[in-house]
Amino acid sequence: MVNSFFFIGLPYIAVFSLVAGSIYRFKSERFSYSALSSQFLESKKLLWGSVLWHAGIMIIFVGHLIPFLLPGLWQSLTSQPAFVVAVEVLGVAAAFTALVGLVVLFVRRILSRHIQSVTTPVDLVVLALLIVQILIGIQTAAGHRWGSMWSVQTTTPYLWSVLTLQPDLIHVDSLPPTVKLHIAVAWIIIMLVPFSRLVHAFSLPIQYLWRAPQQVIWTNARRIRHIAPVIRKAEESRRLFLKGALGLGTAGGLLTVGVMDKLVRFFSGPNMTPEEQAALLQKRLERLEMTAEERDLELERMRNDYIFVANLKELSPKDGKYFIDYQMRPALAYRDTTGLPLLISAKCTHLGCTVASSVDASGRILCPCHISYFDLKTGMPQPGSPATKPLPLLGWALMDTQGNILVSQAPDGRREGEVPADKLEASMVYIAKRYEETV
Amino acid sequence: MDVRAQVAMVFHLDKCIGCHTCSVACKNVWTDRPGAEYMWWNNVETKPGTGYPTLWEDQLNYRGGWELTGKRDLRLRCQTKASSFLKLFYNPNQPGLDDYYEPWTYRDQDLFDAEAGDDQPTAVPVSQITGEVIDIKAGPNWDDDLSGSPVYAENDPNLKHLTEDERRMLFEIENIAMMYLPRICNHCANPSCVASCPSGALYKRGEDGIVLVNQDKCRGWRACVSACPYKKIYYTWKTGKSEKCILCYPRVETGQPPACFHACVGRIRYMGVLLYDADRIEEAMKAPEASLVEAQRSVLLDPDDPNVIRGAAESGVSEAFVSVAQRSPVYRYVKEWELALPLHPEFRTMPMLYYVPPLLPISGRMGDGIYEHGAEQFFSHLDKARLPLRYLAALFGAGNEDIVRTVMKKQMAVRYFKRAQDVDDIDPEQVKRILREAHLTAEQAEAIYALTALGSLENRYVMPPIQREEAIEGSGGPGCSPESCKGTCGLGAVQPPRRGA
Ligand code: HEM
Ligand code: SF4
Ligand code: SF4
Ligand code: FES
Repeated sequence: MVNSFFFIGLPYIAVFSLVAGSIYRFKSERFSYSALSSQFLESKKLLWGSVLWHAGIMIIFVGHLIPFLLPGLWQSLTSQPAFVVAVEVLGVAAAFTALVGLVVLFVRRILSRHIQSVTTPVDLVVLALLIVQILIGIQTAAGHRWGSMWSVQTTTPYLWSVLTLQPDLIHVDSLPPTVKLHIAVAWIIIMLVPFSRLVHAFSLPIQYLWRAPQQVIWTNARRIRHIAPVIRKAEESRRLFLKGALGLGTAGGLLTVGVMDKLVRFFSGPNMTPEEQAALLQKRLERLEMTAEERDLELERMRNDYIFVANLKELSPKDGKYFIDYQMRPALAYRDTTGLPLLISAKCTHLGCTVASSVDASGRILCPCHISYFDLKTGMPQPGSPATKPLPLLGWALMDTQGNILVSQAPDGRREGEVPADKLEASMVYIAKRYEETV
Repeated sequence: MDVRAQVAMVFHLDKCIGCHTCSVACKNVWTDRPGAEYMWWNNVETKPGTGYPTLWEDQLNYRGGWELTGKRDLRLRCQTKASSFLKLFYNPNQPGLDDYYEPWTYRDQDLFDAEAGDDQPTAVPVSQITGEVIDIKAGPNWDDDLSGSPVYAENDPNLKHLTEDERRMLFEIENIAMMYLPRICNHCANPSCVASCPSGALYKRGEDGIVLVNQDKCRGWRACVSACPYKKIYYTWKTGKSEKCILCYPRVETGQPPACFHACVGRIRYMGVLLYDADRIEEAMKAPEASLVEAQRSVLLDPDDPNVIRGAAESGVSEAFVSVAQRSPVYRYVKEWELALPLHPEFRTMPMLYYVPPLLPISGRMGDGIYEHGAEQFFSHLDKARLPLRYLAALFGAGNEDIVRTVMKKQMAVRYFKRAQDVDDIDPEQVKRILREAHLTAEQAEAIYALTALGSLENRYVMPPIQREEAIEGSGGPGCSPESCKGTCGLGAVQPPRRGA
């Protein structure tokens, strides 16, 4: 109930407030749109406050936006450990920069008599909320590191589910309280934007980059009549063109990036490294960005009672093969010591990172995000791992080349049929719908 | 040729008595409200002095105006397009409250409410920003009439053009001299404020060249405040917007002179239309400093030239404007007689207010109070004037003394000419020689005298009522008559300017 309010109700209130409120304010009280600079009244502290705060928040803002808008790109970037480390360090540094700036701004508002005379209660609320939010953000980074990786599994699909009007609590339910709080406060800040000075962020004057230095505006029709059918048309159409081009360009840009993301993936499909493969599998979470491939996968899973995983002889006990289960989640296929298949979910039960495929000397697989070791045989997390729930084992079926089921095994280990030693090497591993549905 | 009309003004500094009536008139009409208390869209400075805001002429500090780069490119001194984005968050060149002064009022009610006691009650000064009692450290015209010279006058940035000796002479008590400099926005033809505005809120009106800030578009980025080299854009601390002199356009549109003009006790102001060629501005503003005044003059067009009249029609300048331009007192002073000069042309904004430099301190130099009559010695005294020519040249000639000397010679010649007529104590031959030397004809001298000394309101304010109906039609969209589009004209503000949160 509380969850549905903060993660389903509040987001829609916030987004509605942001969009409708900002537009309404722009239409009816355009005069009130301003950064409301107070540099005129006090400039020494502002220098530190404003510059540090804005430098920090811009970096953080972009860092939050990219995984959300381009999860595919982000995942391929975060598959390089060096990138992840760099991003995390940059993020935390930016957060501290912003925090210092904010505190200076806050103190300045409280202490300076001159600034007090232009301070509204909303100003203080916004500054306080931002300070709280940054503190929670830093706490998140410290307590649940590698957010740049796990967020793509959790918050990104959550945001997309909200955006596509199919809010899905599953992605946030299991998040730690700090992260939940971070998300909830974010919605509150977004909700307050149109009622605060934060609207100034919409006014970033990009058009200045290509504007002519001088602006002359004629108010009467005479100039228009005389100067020009030609010039005026040209001027007007150029203006319209620029406006249109900017809009279309932005939309087109986003679209192109999205499509390219798909295309590259589609064509480069067959020769992917395991990491890339893992990245691709996880994509099912981005509902909006389903590739043709994924749609096929999903369809296949809807229609077929059995889905091909691999030829048994391709599987190894040391390095798993990624595939997608009936829930469209990443999973791993191994061959156990008895020569039979071993199928296990690869979605970490901690924050949802994809578990790595290689098995270490003591028979464990590792989720790299926060170092959770899982026993491959049982799926149980090792003591000391942040994950507490086991990775579920999956059921399987072995078929011969004619498509006859030789033997199958439910997730709980119950087996149907006998293992035919002679046909084993040539058999193929499938996952079965009936097992999945009971999970 | 792109002919444009510009409403321009001439200030005849010889006539300014430094009474500040203009400033007060302006303040009462436009800036007597919270957030604008400290603003003086019209202010009158004593020169030499540091002015308002303090040291506004020091562009090393405020970085206003344009600069010429090595490649002969005209570039804003304060920012490039890229750096303007960094300066949004904090503008290192923006003047702060201390550079103007903290506005205050008095707690007059204390005079009535005070308990009976041994002391007289006093009305203490309180800040108009914080409401707290303040210790007044500076105010508007703190350096009026050379008060506090060692702090103010001696730090006038224009004095750097003088030698050490000249400076010492200037401030000797027997020699001390000063002049008044009334200033409003110059409604420049190449305004750096417009070019600097990231939001595109600043614009120049096509019809009359008045430079305005669209208050709905202004986002308070403050780039214009530092970009205007004359510091004639002010930031309203209360509403978070920038504001400036609007040349009283709601008055001008209805045929009334601006408030400052109307109030002027000395009748020093002249207002009229200039035609200029907008295509030539950029080239002219790239001229070397010494020839900037001439370059600027050359952009102004002769309103009687048939080519110009045709060009004006083609560019959409109305006939009313052209006919008024032909009778423009400003054109007389600036172009025909070459008496009025732009203030600090080296800022390269092509200011459209012009100043006739003051002659008075110069003639006051003569020991016995009488002018010398010999033309040769007479003019040579210019170089020993109490306000050195070099100082005036720093103000009005971008350092070019010859320009100022020519103007001074003309003004003196006119005085001779009239003295010869009225007092009849000068040899007519000598008067002729003096006129010749000043490049004036007797008719011109007579005309200069008439417009300077006798000009009536009709001669000093030569403007058509700016076609208000047309302007309303234009701004209200097609089919918008003045009747149906009330509120879309004039100041256009149909809502009180409420501060955002
Ligand atoms: C889009 C780019 C942005 C620009 C150009 C910008 C610019 C400014 C400016 C000029 C000020 C006034 C500083 C002064 O007093 O002189 C300001 C204040 C402020 N900005 Fe931004 N900003 C931007 C983005 C943001 C964002 C994304 C946020 C937060 C989410 C933000 C939060 C604030 C806050 C809280 C203040 C008030 C500081 C105070 O209390 O004095 N800004 N900003
Ligand atoms: S004097 Fe007026 S027009 Fe010129 S730059 Fe300054 S504000 Fe702009
Ligand atoms: S009102 Fe006229 S005379 Fe008086 S200070 Fe202003 S410009 Fe000078
Ligand atoms: S997501 Fe945290 S350990 Fe796997």
